[in-house]
Amino acid sequence: MKRLDYRCATALLGFVLLTGCAGVEHSQQELDAARVSFQKVKHDPLVLRSAPLDVVRAGEALTRAEGFSGYWGSSADVSHYAYLSLRFSQIASEHSLLLANQERLAALEQERQRLQQALRDAKLLSVQQQGQAQDEQMVSLTRTQLDRGLVMTLSDVLFEPATASLNASANRTLLKLVQFLQLNPRRIVRIEGYADNQGSQAQNLQLSVERAQEVANVLEDLGIDKKRLQVQGYGEAYPLAENASRRGREQNRRVEIVFSDEQGNLSPPR
Amino acid sequence: MNNRVFCILAALLALAGCATDPAPTEQLRLTEQALVQARAVGATELLVDMQLAEQKFALAQKNMPEQDYKRARLLAEQAELDARLAEAQVLTSKSQEQLTALNARITRLRKQLGDLQ
Repeated sequence: MKRLDYRCATALLGFVLLTGCAGVEHSQQELDAARVSFQKVKHDPLVLRSAPLDVVRAGEALTRAEGFSGYWGSSADVSHYAYLSLRFSQIASEHSLLLANQERLAALEQERQRLQQALRDAKLLSVQQQGQAQDEQMVSLTRTQLDRGLVMTLSDVLFEPATASLNASANRTLLKLVQFLQLNPRRIVRIEGYADNQGSQAQNLQLSVERAQEVANVLEDLGIDKKRLQVQGYGEAYPLAENASRRGREQNRRVEIVFSDEQGNLSPPR
Repeated sequence: MNNRVFCILAALLALAGCATDPAPTEQLRLTEQALVQARAVGATELLVDMQLAEQKFALAQKNMPEQDYKRARLLAEQAELDARLAEAQVLTSKSQEQLTALNARITRLRKQLGDLQ
């Protein structure tokens, strides 16, 4: 019985303390934190522009918290309204970050479009300078395969040796490809990278992925929607020729572009 | 045994003050709305503030049948703002990712243009 008494008394005392004095110091700290945050957002023009209502609410909640702080035993209310005020200030400043990002995005998007147009013009110019002679080299094959549909092969010579970078002679092919995709807006493509069997399997797989990705990047830079471009690397699988000769290996190092039909149905990956 | 009963009665008395608050049904609805909206933009409990919001809302709902209306209201008010903050954080971080991607694309375009010249 005695023990129960003691426990009950402690519990009640705890309850009183919780709502009463023990919270005072803590609630003062919360109030101070809310004040500091409100001061910060109150004079920030970007915050005021992006979330004026939240700033007003932060001020109102702070006023209520300050009002309660004058009364004994209301530290829980002080804490509560200080908390709300702090949250409103935080929400307001988060919205201002968002607005700043959005404005930056809009500016960068214009810049991107300008650069994209410049790149297209530059590539066109370089193609005109190169003349027709290299045409054959670039598109070694565009053919229809029974199970895969229309396939275009970008040969190894379009890439810098052993890297994923496309060289200038790839421009004509890529521009043609872009033109074709713009004329056929529903068609999508899968860009598949292949390698020869020299070096480790992992390296070959990586190079094949990187080359396919590079082609996708350039197509995207020239204005093709990323959603229309699938990228797949096959490493040294599916060779076109034997890997024993230099010529065979050269044929195996390639990027193939598989086209969907006009409805956008693409054959499944190998 | 008597003591236990007394103890419970005392606790109920202490809560009696809160019981005079009206049921904060509208606030709970607002909070739930804020939570739904935050989840819709992709806020999960991996975000500290979203976790807070979900926990406080669950507590507030638990307090309703117990008629602890004041506590329910306070919790729900806080949870609403926690959820709104979480939502804003998700939106900001998404726009940050977009910025990073766009910057990378612009760098790539610049490099390609440089290579051509």
